[in-house]
Amino acid sequence: MNKNKEQLLNKRYKAEKRFRLYGQSAIFMALLFLTIFIFKIFSTGYSAFQKTWLIVPVTFDAELMMLEQNPSKEDLKDADYYDIALKSMADLDPNANEDQENDLKRMVSYFFEREIKRELLNDPSLIGKTKDVYLTASDDLDQVFKGNYPRDLPEDQRRVTDYQLKIFDQLVELGKVESKFNLSFFTYPDSREAELAGIASSFMGSIFSILVCLMIAFPVAVLAAIYLEEFAPKNRFTDFIEVNINNLAAVPSIVFGLLGLGILLAVFQLPRSTPLVGGITLSLMTLPTIIIACRASLKAVPPSIREAALAMGASKMQTTMHHTVPLSMPGTLSGTIIGLAQALGETAPLILIGMVAFVNTIPGSPLDPAASLPVQIYIWAESAERGFVEKVSACIMVLLGFLIIMNLFAQIIRHKFEKKWS
Amino acid sequence: MKKNGVKMIKINSKNVDVFYGKKQALFNINLDIEENQVTALIGPSGCGKSTFLRCLNRMNDVIDICRVKGQIIINDFDINDKSCDVVRLREKIGMVFQKPNPFPKTIYENISYGPTIHGMAQSKNEMDEIVETSLKKAALWEEVKDRLHEPGTGLSGGQQQRLCIARAISVKPEVILMDEPCSALDPIATAQIEELIDELKKDHTIIIVTHSMAQAARVSQNTGFFHLGELIEHGSTDKIFKNPENKKTQDYITGRFG
Repeated sequence: MNKNKEQLLNKRYKAEKRFRLYGQSAIFMALLFLTIFIFKIFSTGYSAFQKTWLIVPVTFDAELMMLEQNPSKEDLKDADYYDIALKSMADLDPNANEDQENDLKRMVSYFFEREIKRELLNDPSLIGKTKDVYLTASDDLDQVFKGNYPRDLPEDQRRVTDYQLKIFDQLVELGKVESKFNLSFFTYPDSREAELAGIASSFMGSIFSILVCLMIAFPVAVLAAIYLEEFAPKNRFTDFIEVNINNLAAVPSIVFGLLGLGILLAVFQLPRSTPLVGGITLSLMTLPTIIIACRASLKAVPPSIREAALAMGASKMQTTMHHTVPLSMPGTLSGTIIGLAQALGETAPLILIGMVAFVNTIPGSPLDPAASLPVQIYIWAESAERGFVEKVSACIMVLLGFLIIMNLFAQIIRHKFEKKWS
Repeated sequence: MKKNGVKMIKINSKNVDVFYGKKQALFNINLDIEENQVTALIGPSGCGKSTFLRCLNRMNDVIDICRVKGQIIINDFDINDKSCDVVRLREKIGMVFQKPNPFPKTIYENISYGPTIHGMAQSKNEMDEIVETSLKKAALWEEVKDRLHEPGTGLSGGQQQRLCIARAISVKPEVILMDEPCSALDPIATAQIEELIDELKKDHTIIIVTHSMAQAARVSQNTGFFHLGELIEHGSTDKIFKNPENKKTQDYITGRFG
């Protein structure tokens, strides 16, 4: 009998030990996947924050630029920079034939003459002189310099010619190739040229979308939640509404995208591809999340506080507005931020309402066409150029950073402002 | 209190029935409450004494399924009448709950809330005065005067309950309802509250629900005994405890059930 009991006890201890082991290995697995994921993104993406520049001597020849004597600022703006730009690249190899000159031109970014123009506009006294100008290297050479490009491929399978590589290596040896922080990744809009593509347009698009989403979803959701929780009678109809709010939270996001397409664009004729439409569509998605969070935190306010206020002669409205709602705000706000973070990472509905369009301007208002960060990731991931690979990861890093900051903020609000009940 | 030898009746309840859904919780309660006296309501758990207490300031309105029938007359006015304004009623009839429930705000804000919503103070000075007198009356002033702007939830249980009493008297109610105010407190805090109740009856009519018969005997002048939703017996506390008419009352008081 006694022995039996001991066996039973041992069995229980063993069961607990096993269970702990299962739990620990589950957590280990989760951490492992997370680490691999983060490592992969960082190792691919970090190089996108560096940009390769070629330092090329440019002669600002007034004649080639079609400039008169003593040109005005306007003249400088209208001048022809293409020829001096072309010439400065061709001058890198005086013996180059026509094909090779073409190759030389392709070593720098597509709009390299604009960089030369900017240099002159900054300092008009350069006319007639020669100066070393930083020119953005083409995305392929950028990848070569970062070591991401397989140089040992046969030439006909490469986008960089042997000749370009030869000149490039000479420049590297002369110290005429430099890697600097890639500011343009944050300040430029999207571009077909990987070396010029930035996230400014999609970043602003995301910000505008989230603001529109917040301004619509927050008031509507909070009012709905307060009414349902504090004022509405509890009957079958309100039960039905509650069930459907929960259902709404489970609707796949693409369905909301179709709704946006069918109603906002087709019926109301709102401008396509804009953060306004994106924000409204996302707000439909965020609405149930905020309602549920707000109701949960209203429920968490102890009834004794409501009774205390009512017994003091406060009306229902005063009780709700002076006590219940302020006490529920930390929970509501952190729920809202988490809802917005979800909306920020949403791609499918935005693709449907046209925010997937190629936008090479930075939107100034929610009515301008824009992309959004997750859609930008999608667009770049589809692009063939090698230069976009690191950009995808870098964009993911920015988006993740954003989400982490938002979630951190939600946590801080929750911990700092949540009241402790005596 | 007797005026010209006549007992002054503050609250007069006639044929009060209370239902929770289909279940009847109170049966035909007729109970008069004397002015400026402490009336204790005693009885075993679930006998309806708290339900009756909550009828007096219509706190049962909060419960959807609860229905109250009959008349409760305070100052010649039936509070169950449709024309009765609940906000005005609750201003006149304060309530202290079983568990201390201060607002999670400062001590000052806890007291000033009632006077603010009822527009009882015209200036900051007046409000300061109301806060001070309320806290003094609740015998809490000396303990908290240096930390009026600290949260009320940081006080001890007994202090919190006195804060709730101070909050209740801040609007100068005529009647104070107390629903087992000492059940969550230790004996010392209980003794302080009991002393306070004795002091408060000068200005207020007090009705206290209690599980402790010793407490009822100590603080009250009148006692009502409830059992299974009926008012079995009521009268002066002396009579109920020393010489009850009803067998059930006697059994309960002597501890045979409950």
